[in-house]
Amino acid sequence: MLLASMQDVVFGYDREPVVNRLSMDIYSNEFMALSGPNGAAKTTSLKLLLGILKPWSGRVQINRNEKGGKPIIGYVPQQVASFNSGFPSTVYELVRSGCSMRLGLFKRFGNKQAALVQSSLEAVGMWELRDRKIGELSGGQKQRVCIARALAQEPDVLILDEPTTGMDLESRKGFYELMRHHVKAHGRTVVMVTHGLEEAEPYLDRTIRLEREEGGGWACLTTSSCSVHFGPEA
Amino acid sequence: MGMFDYEFMQRAFWAGGMIAIIAPLLGVYLVLRRQVLMADTLSHVSLAGVAIGAIAGINPSVGGFLVAVLGALVIERLRQNFRGYGEVSIAVIMTGGLALALVLMSMDSGLNRSFSSYLFGSIVAVSTEQLWIIGAVFVIVLAFWVTMRRPLYNITFDEETAQIGGTHVRWLSQTFSVLTGMTVAAAMPIVGVLLVSALMALPAALSLRFARGFASALIMAVLIGLTGMFGGLTTSYYVNTPPGATVALLLLAFLLIGLGIQRILNRMRRGNDMLEGPDLDSRRFWQRQSGNAQKSKVQTEVLHKN
Repeated sequence: MLLASMQDVVFGYDREPVVNRLSMDIYSNEFMALSGPNGAAKTTSLKLLLGILKPWSGRVQINRNEKGGKPIIGYVPQQVASFNSGFPSTVYELVRSGCSMRLGLFKRFGNKQAALVQSSLEAVGMWELRDRKIGELSGGQKQRVCIARALAQEPDVLILDEPTTGMDLESRKGFYELMRHHVKAHGRTVVMVTHGLEEAEPYLDRTIRLEREEGGGWACLTTSSCSVHFGPEA
Repeated sequence: MGMFDYEFMQRAFWAGGMIAIIAPLLGVYLVLRRQVLMADTLSHVSLAGVAIGAIAGINPSVGGFLVAVLGALVIERLRQNFRGYGEVSIAVIMTGGLALALVLMSMDSGLNRSFSSYLFGSIVAVSTEQLWIIGAVFVIVLAFWVTMRRPLYNITFDEETAQIGGTHVRWLSQTFSVLTGMTVAAAMPIVGVLLVSALMALPAALSLRFARGFASALIMAVLIGLTGMFGGLTTSYYVNTPPGATVALLLLAFLLIGLGIQRILNRMRRGNDMLEGPDLDSRRFWQRQSGNAQKSKVQTEVLHKN
């Protein structure tokens, strides 16, 4: 099922466009990676897709999910691990706050949610550290906590911007497996920006590579095996 | 106690108590959102409102109140335009508000004297009418906090992820600013324009250093605020000092003592660890690290089976 699509999107931060006529489709229930060299507008493309940035021209569309509602999106931004180290939350409190996106304002935080928080923290190996203050954690641990928080949202789509930064090889592999599990067993869609394409490849359903256009400017040209297409002709 | 024989003292304690609950509560969020100077700015702006009210012949408190709310909206608007350096909006409004207040004051020389009670606060300044205003603000802020505390936490942690998660960040942020404006205006008669922000910033600053979690930071800030307020009002009554400054000094003293205690505790703890020897420490660290890695591996495997 087509979950989201961008068509002929043009965007720039000031005069020069950094994204030029990008078209991209995202299908539900896939583990997809977005890759490319530094400055290839990977993060910008994600933000356009998420609606944080408004395109100069072109169309961005996010379809409704099977239940007819707006899909719930869990987002782990690139810099979130460098968050305010003085933020006074415990690990548990922060991950628990992920549940509030589904609970709304008043629904009680019950056993089901408690179990969800526990399994999310366990999945990233941080359950033991649940009572720690998040400011005391290392960069890699903060990253895991943020991933756990996104998992606790029970999102339809999980969007992660370089989630494996600061993780060792073992953790990265565990992480890819975890994402794959969420796609296969829970029917989620995972979109991840990554530089480590080689090691992630075996777990992925699809890869999109953003590359430099001939004659300057970043454009989005190539793709892997599947039905993603870039550029105006597609 | 003798001081409660006076009705104005009872009013001051009621008003002070309500403000000492909501101001530190909002203060924790303001500090974490890097907006703590907003309270200061709004108080300067609302001073202009007081002057406008007096000159236009309406109630100065009402004037201050309305202008503070308006100022909050403008600041929020500017903050969204100056993304990345949101403090600029605060500087712009603060200077604008203060300059306007000073010019208006000079136009009405009779105003100058009554201004001192707005600037420094006064126990006797709390009229029944003001008590009602404070009461209404108290109820509104608490009701807002009770309903919105989950999304508030989310936008305080990170606005971008909150927005993507479905929170109406803009609306919430604006409402929060307006409530800050209302609280500042309500606190003015007691604490005084110049020191309103002390009641928001200082309890939050102390509680954030000590609290183990977000909920406990909020509770601690409120308790510190209440202690400072009641202690300050009592001292102010007996020693005859301006209440705002007394409360602020008391809170400042709490902060300094708190930081001192924390430093001593940290040094003592460090000392104890050293006794066990640095080797043991690093080994423990290593064990914990490898334990975690194993744990996460096991977990992913388990997840795969079900």
